Amino acid sequence: MAPLLAARGVSKSFFGNPVLRDVSIALQPGRVHALLGENGAGKSTLINLLSGALRPDGGTIEVDGRAVARMTPAHARQAGIAVVQQELSLTASLSIAENIGLGAYPKRFGLVDYSALAARAKAACELVGLHEPLSTPVGRLPLGRRQMVEIAKALYRKPRVLILDEPTSSLSATETKILTDLLERLRSEGIAILYISHRLNEVMTLCQHVTVLKDGICTADRTLEGTDAAGLVRLMVGRDPGDLFPQWRPSASPANAVSVRNFSAGLMRDVDLDIRTGEVLGIGGLVGQGQEDLLLGLYGAIPARTASATINGTPGLPGGVPRANALGLAYVPADRKREGLHLIHTITTNMMLPAFARLPALKLRSRRAERETARGLAAQLGIKGDLARQAQALSGGNQQKVALAKWMPHDPVVLLLNDPTRGVDVETKREIYLMLRAFAAAGKAVVLLSSDTPELVHLCERVAVVRDGRIAAMLERAALSEEAIVSAAMGAENRKVAA
Amino acid sequence: MSTVSSARPAVALYWPVQARRNIGVRSLFVVVLAFLIAYGFLFPGLFSASGFAKFTQSWFPLALVAMAQAILMLTGGISLAIGATVSLGAVIAATTMAGPLGVTGGAAAVALTGLGIGAATGFIVVRLRLPAIVVTLAGSFIIGGAALLILPRPGGAIPEWLSDLLAGDTPTAFVLLIVIVLLWKLYLATPLGLSLYAAGENPVGAYRSGVPVDAARVAAYAISGLLSTGAGLFVAAQTGSGDPVIGAAFTLNSIAAAVLGGIGFLGGQGTMRGALAGSLLLSLMISVMFFLGFTPVAQYVAQGLIIIGAVAIPQFRKVQQ
Amino acid sequence: MAVLSSRPFLTVAIVAAVWIAASFASRGFGAYGHLRYLVELGAVIGLVAAGQTFVVIAGGIDLSVAAIVTVSAISLPLLSWQADPTGLAPVLVVLALTTIIGLVNGLGVALLRVHPMIMTLAMATFLQGLLIIIAGGSAVTAENPLVHWLGNARPAGIPAGVLLWVAVSVIVLTVMHATPFGARIFAMGANPLAAALSGVPVTSTTLAVYGISGFTSGLAGVLVLGMNGQGYVGIGDPYLLASIAAVVLGGTSILGGLGTYAGTIPGAILLVTITALITVVNASPGWRSILFGSLILGLLLLSGREQARR
Repeated sequence: MAPLLAARGVSKSFFGNPVLRDVSIALQPGRVHALLGENGAGKSTLINLLSGALRPDGGTIEVDGRAVARMTPAHARQAGIAVVQQELSLTASLSIAENIGLGAYPKRFGLVDYSALAARAKAACELVGLHEPLSTPVGRLPLGRRQMVEIAKALYRKPRVLILDEPTSSLSATETKILTDLLERLRSEGIAILYISHRLNEVMTLCQHVTVLKDGICTADRTLEGTDAAGLVRLMVGRDPGDLFPQWRPSASPANAVSVRNFSAGLMRDVDLDIRTGEVLGIGGLVGQGQEDLLLGLYGAIPARTASATINGTPGLPGGVPRANALGLAYVPADRKREGLHLIHTITTNMMLPAFARLPALKLRSRRAERETARGLAAQLGIKGDLARQAQALSGGNQQKVALAKWMPHDPVVLLLNDPTRGVDVETKREIYLMLRAFAAAGKAVVLLSSDTPELVHLCERVAVVRDGRIAAMLERAALSEEAIVSAAMGAENRKVAA
Repeated sequence: MSTVSSARPAVALYWPVQARRNIGVRSLFVVVLAFLIAYGFLFPGLFSASGFAKFTQSWFPLALVAMAQAILMLTGGISLAIGATVSLGAVIAATTMAGPLGVTGGAAAVALTGLGIGAATGFIVVRLRLPAIVVTLAGSFIIGGAALLILPRPGGAIPEWLSDLLAGDTPTAFVLLIVIVLLWKLYLATPLGLSLYAAGENPVGAYRSGVPVDAARVAAYAISGLLSTGAGLFVAAQTGSGDPVIGAAFTLNSIAAAVLGGIGFLGGQGTMRGALAGSLLLSLMISVMFFLGFTPVAQYVAQGLIIIGAVAIPQFRKVQQ
Repeated sequence: MAVLSSRPFLTVAIVAAVWIAASFASRGFGAYGHLRYLVELGAVIGLVAAGQTFVVIAGGIDLSVAAIVTVSAISLPLLSWQADPTGLAPVLVVLALTTIIGLVNGLGVALLRVHPMIMTLAMATFLQGLLIIIAGGSAVTAENPLVHWLGNARPAGIPAGVLLWVAVSVIVLTVMHATPFGARIFAMGANPLAAALSGVPVTSTTLAVYGISGFTSGLAGVLVLGMNGQGYVGIGDPYLLASIAAVVLGGTSILGGLGTYAGTIPGAILLVTITALITVVNASPGWRSILFGSLILGLLLLSGREQARR
């Protein structure tokens, strides 16, 4: 049987960085096909090629066994291909129904047929368990519900091929269950489904076939039968999971680098926290519980209140980023492109920015000294190539290195890291891990906020699990395990380890 | 699919959606109402037929340019050529309507010019990817120059009956405004009209969903041009003649009205009813200041302060929270 | 090679080409005196555009520059102190005033978070009203020796206004490209959030940028007053579009974060050249306006395309 949708030997590069190399995939009707790979392995790019949002540099896209010369989103829609993107395609100011029908409204006399739209949108909403009034503006829905709207939007188009890019990352357990049941039913109706997820247990139960990408190359294309989760991880990582993390010796000292009492910022309410010098303190929990606000509040980037605070021996919170920098705090944001880097500026300029921010405003710059510093940092972190290139020419991993490197000349005492390995290739991950531990061993404090639980387990002296704006548990090294973190994050308490 | 769409359950959608859109502008409506009441006290003649007619006539052109600017801002664009386009509409009306083309032909010429200018601007901004602010700034010189060519100094004429009809003692302007608003509602109920919001707020997502983003944006520019020259026609009818620079003040006032009405600069934020309320508020403020004995100059000063205040205060509250 | 493909160089090349072509077509055009006159006119635009370049690179826009030029050109004649024979004191007072106007713009943008376009447009409206109250409709004559010197003197054959422009250009280019302050402005314009998280003091930098724009616009007002001898309401009006056009034609991105004053300088001269050419054509005001707008639009099409940003 010809696959409904297939890619044959496709390649794609961005800014000269190959992202996909000679990758093939075939989506068969009535099959849930898993696409696995590390962040940055090229999954999203492959989806964009399959759905016509991008065009391959080499290779072909086939629909029903026939090669399509210039695939566009319009072609893809006509061929019955629907995509649930990770970055939502919704418009906040429009209602649920208007979003679901967007681009494919039912018409009567040239006008949008609102009653037909309502009926069809309602049918799609019922499939995914959305019961909010259809007139609700999408901007008023929480993230998980928006994701369900996005899925309903794909179903509204009655797709033959359904591509879902990490659909469950922002869903609750109930919503996930609804979705998996739904996908099972769609599969039995003969729809081809491509399913991308980091949750291996979901993949094991839902999918029949798997394609694994690693650094842009297809490392496996096989049925899931006879494979276990550990086997999948080996395929993705290319080595045993244990090798990823460096060996290290606890280096925490009893002295506090940061100490706050009754600290509130953003979602965080009345938190007590001590960060010791020489430790890597992990911050875990489900997405969006206030972890980020904790870091940003300490860093002075958002308003914060506290009963008492001591940072690096100085009483009081910084109250502003320049002051935080002066106190020895440095922050590396999660979203490199939006918060961490100036993509249109050179690598050198990016590396020098914290220096520009703290030098006297009208002191003359020395371009040569800047180049020297940047070259030194690049050598230290293994960033290769011309440093006068724009930062957007770098791969995700190297961008992250630049975002880290720019703080190094300022010798920060406390390093606040927000998900530093998100979308970073395995090698860079390992380098970042080594750097963190070396940093802690040198007597500095590292705060590692991470959505990657194994990272917290394998790298941290202690992990603070945040739930609902509070530190739900402070897990000491001896009590650290993925289960302990997850159960604390979900609220299934094991209070014996709570600090 | 056929089973779903043939069964028509009584799911009301259109009106609830419309009602939802009022939520963001309720407080604005209250402010406008307060100003209306104050104005009614200062000028009781408002409640006579001719007083109401005069009042709506002073509001009408501002309402049109506010809509013209709002539709662009909804798509993430902006125009600094609105004033010049109004002037061009006025001089075309004043030179054609009393001439061989007659009122119908003149009105058609005004409308076609507006659509053409708008579409051309839209094409340059959207398809050639030049920044809207610079294109429309340069465009204001071209359009203003064209107005000067057609009518180098104030002159021309509008047939008297048309002036009487539009700017006399009958509330024709108000009726026209209602018709225009209804036409706008109709446009917003078409797939192309509704995609304005998506094209302005999330163009990438909209494109992936199959929305003709470029077409929606070019259409917005064309409609904006039509509304602007239409405002020019009305202004010419009000004064009975054409003036090649009469529209100058409308550029700033259109942006001010739209922003007062809650339209954002980033695209997809705000509603047309808000922009209309904003234009009414601005028009009322100008009238109230006039009746309080402000000189036209002091009005400028007050207007500048009010606009900043109206934009800054909500922002300031947000920051405080 | 990098120099040849750079935008400032491209703009200089266009100016040179236009000058050479025009001097063949029209005899008086290429004369030293005429070219000197063009550069002198360009100095006013160049000064206004200096502040505008800072603001645009920082990710904003200043639509109040024309009104500030007028404020400067009208309020200066009103301040005449017999006690100060040099005329320096009133000039300093006026420059302080226009800088404060700029700082108020900056306060609105940075602290009240008003969109720069609205803030500066509203400021322009406000100033316009204020000016009519102060000056009425009549022109005011300046009797300030310093201003007169600036507008008319030619030390070593070079107009004083051009010398002022050269001095300002050197300072602006130095601040923009050779100080941490300049680097902060580029960072803010390219990505304000990332700049703030890197420790750039965003509020004070924004204030400074709009303050600079007020200052250079004030300086341009002083110069235009000296060249004109009289100030009147509307004297600054041509400089709004001209300043923005000079910035954009010079290769600075209207989206912020990229650009240089080195491009704005030839951009300003290109604009006065275009205006002079249109005058040579001897067309009606309508045609002149159309030609001016079309040429700017045409030049934008040639060189003003924004590179796509992700």
